[in-house]
Amino acid sequence: MSLSAPADATAARTVTAVAGRARGRRESSAYALRAASAIAALLLWYGVTALGLVSADFLPGPAAVLHTFLDILHNGYRGTTLGQDSLATLGRCLGGFAGAVLTGVPLGLCMGLDRRVAAAGNYIVQFMRPLPPLSYLILLILWLGTGNASKVALLYLTAFPIVTSAAMAGVRTVPRQRIQAALSLGARPPQILAYVVLPSALPMIFTGLRIALAAAFSTVVAAELMAASDGLGWMVFSASQFLRTDVIVLGIIVLGLLGMALNWMLVALDAAVVHWRGVE
Amino acid sequence: MHLNRRTFIAGAGALAAGGARAAPPPAVNIAYFVETKPTMIAKGLGWFQDGMGAKLNWVEVGSGAEINTAIAAGSVDIGIGIGSSPTAAGLSQGIPYKLIGMLDNIGPAEEMTVRKAARIKSPADFKGKKVATPFGSTSHFRLLGFLALNHLTQADVTVLDMRPDAMVAAWQRGDIDAGYVWAPAKSKLLADGGEVYSTYKELDDAGYVIADLIVARSAFMAAYPDAVAGLLRAYGRALDMWKQKPTDAAMIVGQQAGVSPAVAEADMKEYDFVPLQTQLTDAWLGPPGKGGKFDGVLKRTADFLVEQKSIRAAGSLDTFRNGTDTNALARAAA
Amino acid sequence: MRTRLPPVIWAAASICALLAVWIGLTWNGSHGPVVQDLFLPGPGELWSGFLDLASSGYKGRPLLVHIGFSLERVLAGFGTGAVVGTVLGLAMGYAPRLDALASPFVEFLRPLPQLAYLVLLIVWFGIGEESKIILLFLAALPVSAVAARAGVRDVSAGRVQVARALGASEWQVFRHVVFPSALSEIFTGARLAIGIVYGTLIAAEIIAGSTGLGWMILDAGRFLRSDYVFVGIVIIGLLGILLDRSLVGIERRVVHWAGK
Repeated sequence: MSLSAPADATAARTVTAVAGRARGRRESSAYALRAASAIAALLLWYGVTALGLVSADFLPGPAAVLHTFLDILHNGYRGTTLGQDSLATLGRCLGGFAGAVLTGVPLGLCMGLDRRVAAAGNYIVQFMRPLPPLSYLILLILWLGTGNASKVALLYLTAFPIVTSAAMAGVRTVPRQRIQAALSLGARPPQILAYVVLPSALPMIFTGLRIALAAAFSTVVAAELMAASDGLGWMVFSASQFLRTDVIVLGIIVLGLLGMALNWMLVALDAAVVHWRGVE
Repeated sequence: MHLNRRTFIAGAGALAAGGARAAPPPAVNIAYFVETKPTMIAKGLGWFQDGMGAKLNWVEVGSGAEINTAIAAGSVDIGIGIGSSPTAAGLSQGIPYKLIGMLDNIGPAEEMTVRKAARIKSPADFKGKKVATPFGSTSHFRLLGFLALNHLTQADVTVLDMRPDAMVAAWQRGDIDAGYVWAPAKSKLLADGGEVYSTYKELDDAGYVIADLIVARSAFMAAYPDAVAGLLRAYGRALDMWKQKPTDAAMIVGQQAGVSPAVAEADMKEYDFVPLQTQLTDAWLGPPGKGGKFDGVLKRTADFLVEQKSIRAAGSLDTFRNGTDTNALARAAA
Repeated sequence: MRTRLPPVIWAAASICALLAVWIGLTWNGSHGPVVQDLFLPGPGELWSGFLDLASSGYKGRPLLVHIGFSLERVLAGFGTGAVVGTVLGLAMGYAPRLDALASPFVEFLRPLPQLAYLVLLIVWFGIGEESKIILLFLAALPVSAVAARAGVRDVSAGRVQVARALGASEWQVFRHVVFPSALSEIFTGARLAIGIVYGTLIAAEIIAGSTGLGWMILDAGRFLRSDYVFVGIVIIGLLGILLDRSLVGIERRVVHWAGK
């Protein structure tokens, strides 16, 4: 029988198992390999810099970066601590994202449910989606000033079309028969929305949320590179002007870890809320 | 949004003006450059703070264009060190500020620095090279003038937008062959394998005069005329200190700008800092309500920018005359 | 009963309303426009700005040349990154050991804001084209890899077994069962990747460029040349839509069996 195997663990077995390999110790050996791979990269980094194959200005070693990390944690970089910069960046990102979710999901649902609303708004959403946010940052700064307002607005406008599109598409995946079945059982519109439409749409909405958050996170750093006086993006950019590669590398690592953490949070939320994903 | 802010401040200003004219502003946002000039003395020793009687929020910028954007957006009230080129652009485009004073007549202080290794000896040698300058600044204006006078286009010469700090870093990496900028970045380039490629005589003769100015948002000025006069008075004090005690002045400036006192002194000697009284004469800004020769300089600057398609339309001579308000200057010089 | 007006009417009405607001705010009446054209140029200014750019170019280069520069970079970065990423992802889907080895890097690179490592690339490679293309390559790679890997994993086990039972070789199984099945996810990944690459490119041109659409907006923006900035944004938006639609078109041609 043709069975789709969506869950990752079983999926990993479809092609390769059929290729005839034993699958007993796969999971634990996979974890071990991943860890080994990451450790090997760290060792390579350490080796290359310790042996002096590249100059310290070009690529500082792990020890130097760790030292810088502790330094900036306590004494800050050019006036702001690592904690303050991280909070500033996260604050802007999550602020814009939250606004987009709170307005975009309801709007997207409306657009999915009512063709008239979709017609009235979709062309705007579809134009904004592929539009690189940094291209209109200068306008936002002109309109909203050089402070946080323009940046939060930028992030809102980055995430909004993605979330709205996802919600709209999510509604479209609801099988019509279900809605009709519910109607025939005497359900009223609010109940249909809560018990039929939303559950079907949620997987797609969550996918959209993940993409939107990733986009917002990338954009906040770009915006800080251009026009800010604090934040992790500003820290990296400022360090580049003083050729402090140690701070740049530190900033990249912190940003990478933060990005991964944000993504994992959403994945966990997704798994917790949308526990019916993949089941029909 | 900006309309609301302006209306609010204008309204508040009207009330305040009717009531207590001497009431200081709650806080002032001042855009400034980290540069080797007497302004750093007044900033560092707190004279600006005392003179204005208000909490000052210092916003560092890398070019006059940033000051234009910030004032247009309502984020900044006063711009110190904005160049004549962005000011001409701003007044032509209706940014709501007024020219209230001059810092200096620039002359050789902003200049083209070329990498010795790039062997640039004549205008034609610039072809295929990378020159960096902060876009929208007086240096940019001069660079564009230089290209125009020598029949070079931006397809021949790669012109890159960089703030002064970024330029120094790019120079050290070997990314750029030349930079048109002011001190202290200029001195750092010179110290790192650079040499002067003199353009200022050719440009000054052709009319590309540049100067550094002070602008104030119109609504702010209307609301707090005393604070503005206090600002200029404090600047006058700093200028006097440079004239009378140059060594001490250079020490403070050097410390504020992050360079040695010797470099600071050498940088400052290149500028023609016009004294307050002289600014009020017809040769420069003119007495209150009367205008001066500088209006013409701004007009010519704006016309060139229109030619370059940098701005859409230049203001008339009146735009610049009305855009200059030397009332506070007259009070400060008195 | 709902009204029977087709949705198109609503779209038209919405567009008209938007236009009306725009014209209303920028109409040059007796007291001047409600919003200064510095902040919001009117349709007339936008149009004349566009004609200006189209006829005399921007700062020494025709408009099409700037568009060409940007397009070149996008295609170079996307092309290399998506192809390498897809190949890597396919391999990762097949070989769990390779997957375990490569995953940490892919998973770290994916959420990492591109502009942050642009700074590092510039320190290493300078401000020229190399750092931008490498940046775009790295921006496209993780997304394509993850999509290709998912595409391989979601292949139905049954089909693979049938193919084997019929005596197909490993390569034939890949070419005729796995790869076609994975294609729709690969294309989903490609659409995502090109969006990321395009956005990253414009940002890179704004921050460290001397040619291209992003740089054009930056330069115009420095002088508050709002008409050029708006025209630039519209062109950038249309180009983005064009890139996305092109991929959808290619997908339709290639994956014509989707849904069967």
